[in-house]
Amino acid sequence: MKLKSSVSIKWLHGGLRCLIVIVLMNLFVLPAFGQKISITGVVKSNADGTTLIGATIHIKGTTSGTITDQNGAYLLQVENGETLVFSYIGFEPQEIKVQGQKFIDITLKEDTKSVDEVVVIGYGSVKRKDVTGSVSSVGSDDIRQSQSVTIEQSLQGRIPGMVIQQVSGQPGGDVFVQIHGTTGFSASGPLYVLDGVELQGIASVGGGTNPLAGINPSDIESIDVLKDASATAIYGSKGTDGVIIITTKRGRIAPPKVEYQFSTGFQQLTKKLPVMNLREYATFVNERNAGWGWGFDTRPEFSNPKYLGKGTDWQDELFRNAPSSTHTLTVSGGDARTQYLLSGASQSEEGIALGSKFDRISFRLNLDNKTTDWLKIGTSLQLVNIDENKNSTNSSVIRSALEQTPDIEVTNADGSWGGSSSTVGWVAQKVNPYAIALINKDKVNRKQVFGNLYAEITFAKGLVLRNEAAINFSMATEDVYEPSYTMGNLEKLTSEGSSESKQGVYTSIKNYITYSHLFAAKYSLTAMAGHEASLEKSERLYASRTGYVSDNVNVIDGGDPTTAINEGSKDHKSSESYFGRLNVGINDKYLITGNIREDGSSMYAENNRWILSYSGAMAWKLNNENFLKGVSKVNELKLRLGYGLTNRQAGRDYVYTSTLATVPTGVSTTAQLTQNVGNPDLEWEQTKNSSIGLDGTFFNWRLNFAVDFYLKRTNGLAMQASLPMYSGTAIGYSPGSLDAPWVNVGSMENKGFDIRISTTNIKGKDFTWKTDMTISRNINKVLKLNTDGAPIMGDYSKTVVGRSVGDFYGYVVEGVFSSSVDVYGDEEKGIKPHARPSKNGEILLFANASGSIWYGDLMYKDMDGNGIIDENDQTYLGSPVPKVQLGLNNTFTYKNFDLNVFFNASIGNKVFNQLRVNAENPISSYGYFRSLSNYAKLALIDSEGSDSDPYNVYVTNSDTDIPGVRNDQTNENTRFSDKYIEDGSFVRCKNISLGYTFSENLLKMAHINSLRVFTSVTNAFIITKYSGMDPEIGSWDPTNAGIDNGFYPQSRRFTFGVNITLSK
Amino acid sequence: MKLKSNIYYLALAVAGLFASCSKDFLDRAPLSEISTENFYQTTSDLKLATAALYAGSQWASWTYNSYLTIGDVMSGNMVLGYNDDAVQLNTFSVTGENGAVIANWGDMYKVIAHCNTTINSINEKTPESVPEADKNAALSEARFIRGYAYYNLALLWGDVPIIEDNNTLTTSPLVSLNLVNDVYQFVVNDLTFAAKNLPAAIGSDWERGRVTSWSAQGLLGKVYLSWSGLSGERNQALLDSAKLYAGNVCKYSGLELMDNYADLFKTANNYNDEALFALRWDPSVGGWLEGNMLQIYSSGGTEISADGQAGWFSIMPTYDMFLQYSADDTIRRKATFMLKGDYYAELNAAGGGFTYTGDAGLKKHIIGTKKDNNVSIMTLTSSAEHNALLRLADVYLVYAESILGNNETTTDADALLYFNKVRTRAGLETVVSLNADALLKERRIEFAAESQYWPDLVSLSYYNPQKAIDLLNGGERVNFSYSDGVATPGDPFGEITPATINSFKLPIPSSEITANPKLSKAPVPYSF
Repeated sequence: MKLKSSVSIKWLHGGLRCLIVIVLMNLFVLPAFGQKISITGVVKSNADGTTLIGATIHIKGTTSGTITDQNGAYLLQVENGETLVFSYIGFEPQEIKVQGQKFIDITLKEDTKSVDEVVVIGYGSVKRKDVTGSVSSVGSDDIRQSQSVTIEQSLQGRIPGMVIQQVSGQPGGDVFVQIHGTTGFSASGPLYVLDGVELQGIASVGGGTNPLAGINPSDIESIDVLKDASATAIYGSKGTDGVIIITTKRGRIAPPKVEYQFSTGFQQLTKKLPVMNLREYATFVNERNAGWGWGFDTRPEFSNPKYLGKGTDWQDELFRNAPSSTHTLTVSGGDARTQYLLSGASQSEEGIALGSKFDRISFRLNLDNKTTDWLKIGTSLQLVNIDENKNSTNSSVIRSALEQTPDIEVTNADGSWGGSSSTVGWVAQKVNPYAIALINKDKVNRKQVFGNLYAEITFAKGLVLRNEAAINFSMATEDVYEPSYTMGNLEKLTSEGSSESKQGVYTSIKNYITYSHLFAAKYSLTAMAGHEASLEKSERLYASRTGYVSDNVNVIDGGDPTTAINEGSKDHKSSESYFGRLNVGINDKYLITGNIREDGSSMYAENNRWILSYSGAMAWKLNNENFLKGVSKVNELKLRLGYGLTNRQAGRDYVYTSTLATVPTGVSTTAQLTQNVGNPDLEWEQTKNSSIGLDGTFFNWRLNFAVDFYLKRTNGLAMQASLPMYSGTAIGYSPGSLDAPWVNVGSMENKGFDIRISTTNIKGKDFTWKTDMTISRNINKVLKLNTDGAPIMGDYSKTVVGRSVGDFYGYVVEGVFSSSVDVYGDEEKGIKPHARPSKNGEILLFANASGSIWYGDLMYKDMDGNGIIDENDQTYLGSPVPKVQLGLNNTFTYKNFDLNVFFNASIGNKVFNQLRVNAENPISSYGYFRSLSNYAKLALIDSEGSDSDPYNVYVTNSDTDIPGVRNDQTNENTRFSDKYIEDGSFVRCKNISLGYTFSENLLKMAHINSLRVFTSVTNAFIITKYSGMDPEIGSWDPTNAGIDNGFYPQSRRFTFGVNITLSK
Repeated sequence: MKLKSNIYYLALAVAGLFASCSKDFLDRAPLSEISTENFYQTTSDLKLATAALYAGSQWASWTYNSYLTIGDVMSGNMVLGYNDDAVQLNTFSVTGENGAVIANWGDMYKVIAHCNTTINSINEKTPESVPEADKNAALSEARFIRGYAYYNLALLWGDVPIIEDNNTLTTSPLVSLNLVNDVYQFVVNDLTFAAKNLPAAIGSDWERGRVTSWSAQGLLGKVYLSWSGLSGERNQALLDSAKLYAGNVCKYSGLELMDNYADLFKTANNYNDEALFALRWDPSVGGWLEGNMLQIYSSGGTEISADGQAGWFSIMPTYDMFLQYSADDTIRRKATFMLKGDYYAELNAAGGGFTYTGDAGLKKHIIGTKKDNNVSIMTLTSSAEHNALLRLADVYLVYAESILGNNETTTDADALLYFNKVRTRAGLETVVSLNADALLKERRIEFAAESQYWPDLVSLSYYNPQKAIDLLNGGERVNFSYSDGVATPGDPFGEITPATINSFKLPIPSSEITANPKLSKAPVPYSF
């Protein structure tokens, strides 16, 4: 017995619109001659015996034929001796010769090869075998298996050439997506197109919003990823970073079907960091207090650490096993005239950290109606409500939990919140992370209505005009409330509350006309031309007050009116485009595609407003050449070549001009202060993209691969110029600075390859084993910077010509000063004194006193060999960009069981483990990692001698890189250095899922069509050398990537679920 | 569908397809803010633009991070523990990573950037319909403030880059240091223009709080006085210029000192005549680093705080500062620093006044509650005080010093007149002869906690480095406990390394040198 649910999904695969188009193309009605006989019959599926509605029956060698009706029945006039071809998407066609029969019932066999798989390429679709560009796809099976909250997670490792990194592991959290490398210095990302509508203008609050968080993964039919310019140029300026086309499931001509899916499970933390418990902490504090410059930190309660307990484990307090559940109900079906799909879903997801939550309710209506023989109309409508709790992320409670010390109680005996009551003034006041996670509120609500309407008018055969109007309404609100509190010495006296509300409306109108024709049965032509315009409007209101009377009334009105602050703004932008595409096929051997698009944007000054993108591609189907015709081992072999130029819009609204903000001053009641440096000369970023690819299928469709090589050169890279402070400009938050200008700063190259290989390793009667593998490699190189040779500075990185974007730069640690040889050298052995920092040009003293360097201080490598450690000794420390990304998916089926095991890997990137800066710094007052106990320990050579004589002191554990406990920071031991840089390579078992499909006979008695139960583990385990929680650190900003500052880690998720389908 | 209608519809559709949206569909001007393209068109626009230069976030970080720490902690007037940056300043172990140093560098250049933008925009965009005098007055305000900022940079760093057009930095960001002498020349050029073009007095249409020609002349005198010693000995020509401009203010401005020293620092007197240039804060701007945040340095409790949040830092006078005050110099002492038992009726007036119970703390800039100041909005981070950066008393003492010049002592009548005005107001005996030490000490006390003493020491170090070094190393830069009129010095917050001549030059922020290695190279002349 076959897996019914997977069959039904295959039927859907490709979308019904495409089916209709293909059917129409095949049905050239030509006059027929000769004696006709009528043949009737029913077409059925071999999988479950149901009748197939809309199956095509045509007479071989002609273009006449018919389709089956609602009962799967057909009636056709044929001549005796002619051959009938029965076909249906997802099934192997069958031919029957008419030899006097009147009735021909036929059962079509499910086609596992999917040769007619359709790929959506933007403003149309083509068969997979006719694709000329670099396009990868993921189907609903893959999405279902990954059990993810948002859909990008299900693409990870499955699309070659695509890097996906979690920016926050919070449920529904941000994901960083990159296709064929970074093409910009500013935040960039692919274009998302949902059912033909760009996901633009979505209101966002509370820190980045994932545009895909509103989409229920169960609604997805397929995701097509356009990677090279020959594929993306049709999207013009928006497609440079790739295009991700999401197609939702639609109704089809079939009896009504009701599908219900339920899953439940929980998530847990995968790795706890090794922090000191109370005993270890007390031991260390006591040891430190004996060190130079200390002595004031005597803590009587630590006098005998042996008798102390383990203290508070803040990670245990903060992290929890978090439940999750989803319900999805889908009703679909249709007749030859109208097809419908209606779905409703609810997803509830607690985060593993206290104070995080994601709840989504979504509805979808997809409707297609063949109104007349020349008009088809339809809609896709999505309604979403998302409620989130973002407190754990926005209050940084994970970092706080790692910074808090184990001697602090969660709650005191009297029920009040624990906190440091140390009177030792230097102890940094730290919040109680558990309390903060509970009492602070940060609630985000998002409401979205994404809808589009379309009309397709067929003027003549092959000539279709499609009009589409789309509108995205979105509203987002964030309510933040921080009550007043007391946590030991830390007091927050006034409560603060704020409310932010944003609205966005994005409208677009698209019209395009397509003409398809097959000339002389040899030359196929599809030409498309169109126009598109969009307008995006947004507005924001913000209000805040402090001094709330009650923590229970924390809406704005509950606060002290005299503290009210309000802000409000409105924005708008528009774009307009003309575009066209030509596809030519010759003999089904040579395929040629040309794209052209003219884009206009309101973002630029008038003279830079319009820009042209274009691309061309060729494909050669080698398998249809005579020299391969007879070779049965080769099913398909296609060589692809493409070249194109696309333009990216980088910058922000009104980037060409400076704006003035209204500010109050004591001179006059208001004043106008310049906000930014405008740049009227800013231009579009231009990317030239060449690619070559090979697709092949061998051995009776059992081996299938695609290889792509690409070279992308981007000129005119735009970013906010990160200028020295004397420019008075800054990027991001910097009160009083002018917002830095956007400039075209340079050129960059991305080259690389990606490979996908799919094999059917074993295909037996009961057992099958399939493998999919992806390999991606991208090399990024900055070719030119128009900045006088100045690097682009990140917080811990530099971007320099000849290297990749955002490389780490800092000092190199060569251990600690541990013996007099380090200090004074050894002339006999030719060892020079180790370099030390200087002040005002003089090398700092080596002495056990403040303002000097001493044993246990870190020795930094003297890169320029001048004996002094200064800014010039910073050097390249690695790149946060992975070298290679891999995905490996294995699917096993045995009788009714199916098992899927999916790994992904990322190799060769570096991560800055910033948590270690404080947690391994002996003179900080934060929580410590256990590794700190290996701090540099000083001893005297002559125990009677002086402890400030450099010749009498040495370090016993000289191989450590953790400084000593001397209370002095002259050496700046926490400066950014390679000791905090770690290898971020990992192999992650992303998903294991096991399913069982009940047998049909059993289900028939219960009137159930199909029933599947499944269980899965997501993020089952990870193999890595990285010492932090999770090495997968996504970042929106390529010049500040790879920094782990206690971000929300990905959880391990266990899910159990059931899927029931009922049909007529 | 009939074939004919088919064709019509098709024609219509194709026409619609390629008809563009209206031409201005892509014209989307900013909706929420004015664009500079449409601004600087009237006298009123110019006034709005220059008003923004007197306070606001571009001044807030400097006021909070550097005003007291560099001006008063580094010079030994005050001390502040548990603050790494301030401890470094106190112990002369300042590095290029010091937060106060970075803030001062960056913030002065922020001020300069805003002035440059305003100056260049007015020059480019203001139409001829705006009266020349109005245009020049607006330019003068911006050039006055820019001059102040460059003067501050010249004092603290010496050679610094001179930036006149921030737009050119987008294409050529790596500039060189300019010679300190050229920086002084640049400042003098700005101030001379301002002195010529600003209104002489606060007229009916010249809003209170804005700088006047007297402000510019007063500052010009002060700048000339500092500059006069730069070459290693005091240049008489520059001293004469200082004397000229400071003298003008003293003699012809018609401005007088306020009667009561303590009244100068009350918000009711924010617009007093003596404040030649003050930061014009608005207390409704309460965000972090947006307003006057000096109250964070308060060591008083919540009862004298703006809105219930007490200060954090408890900055206090050093033992050396305490010793500067003679027994009869109580008016200024009490208005500048609180000592145990001091009573202030104006603080927490509604609650019966405030008696200080700590050992010693800052009084200047600590203004009390919202009620005390009669303002509806004020927080710990948005003081209503307009802290003056140039006072008439300062110009008086500059005038006296420029007369003294290279002489050991002076009995010049003008010098004594204006010097004694300052002393009389402080309730002190007048003097009949004046020398450099008396002047410097008077300045130190008069302007304590106003970020003046460090610039004074730097000016001194130009021509008498040993004396400046001795002054730094001579006093006890430590806190003290105080009871029954007896002060007992405490321990230093860290080992104080002896000051050297190098101590008078702040390090350029490390990040700045990393971004532009040219800043560690020799300075170049500026082409005017």
